[in-house]
Amino acid sequence: MSATADREVVVSRIIDAPRELVFEAFTEVRHLSQWWGPEGFTTTTRSFGFGVGAEWDFVMHGPDGTDYPEWITWTEITPPARIAMLHGESRDDPNAFVSVLTFEPDGPVGRATRIELRTVFATRGLRDEAVEKYHAIEGGRQTLGNLAAYVAGIAGRGGEG
Amino acid sequence: MPRAATTSDVFNAIAEPQRREILVLLRAGERPVTELARELGMTQPGASKHLRVLREVGLVRDRRAGKQRLYGLDARGLRPVHEWAGGFEKFWNESFDRLEAYVQDLEHARREEQR
Repeated sequence: MSATADREVVVSRIIDAPRELVFEAFTEVRHLSQWWGPEGFTTTTRSFGFGVGAEWDFVMHGPDGTDYPEWITWTEITPPARIAMLHGESRDDPNAFVSVLTFEPDGPVGRATRIELRTVFATRGLRDEAVEKYHAIEGGRQTLGNLAAYVAGIAGRGGEG
Repeated sequence: MPRAATTSDVFNAIAEPQRREILVLLRAGERPVTELARELGMTQPGASKHLRVLREVGLVRDRRAGKQRLYGLDARGLRPVHEWAGGFEKFWNESFDRLEAYVQDLEHARREEQR
């Protein structure tokens, strides 16, 4: 993990459901198509396989009618704890990035699930800027929100000039 | 004018550490290329090359002031990065919202089936 820690970002959530079920929601397209993407987005799947090396080839439709080509290949699957995937616009997308999903039991009797998405960027450029120059890490937890706040700050200063 | 594919957008432009150094220096105000080159310990042609890339993606603007040319930050060019980064986090937060609602429905449905 330390090898990529300098170009990672993390999004996490506690979900009030058992982790076997949360994990299962990633394993079949009939599940994925019900929740993948922000509110108002839908997906059309061209092909789907769930297994190491298998691919999910699909189009995401935005609420404004914009279509986004999406392509995912699963690089590691450890039920019900971990899924790693390479995510891009197509199979030959040079900007595809690796995301790792982890599922951990949470709550007093493990009735809930802590899901975490850790994304590893191709370069550490964007993260370096925030971490080294502006100390954007808060409590050791780096999120894209920090980066967004940082670039918003830069943009604000630029606007003054 | 042909442009290198590796530097033609703002994401690639700021992936280069020395170009980020230049942007940081320019936050303090306009500078001539000679000063930038000296502070960063690079050659003037090297600094000029980076400034050209930054100008092409809209992160740096230049103006003539007397005999010299001054380079300044135009950080509005970072807006695509801002929108993309915010959008990425929003994408997953909203997906996780929907995931939670979906798995809870699924759980209820299965309990019903077992009765």
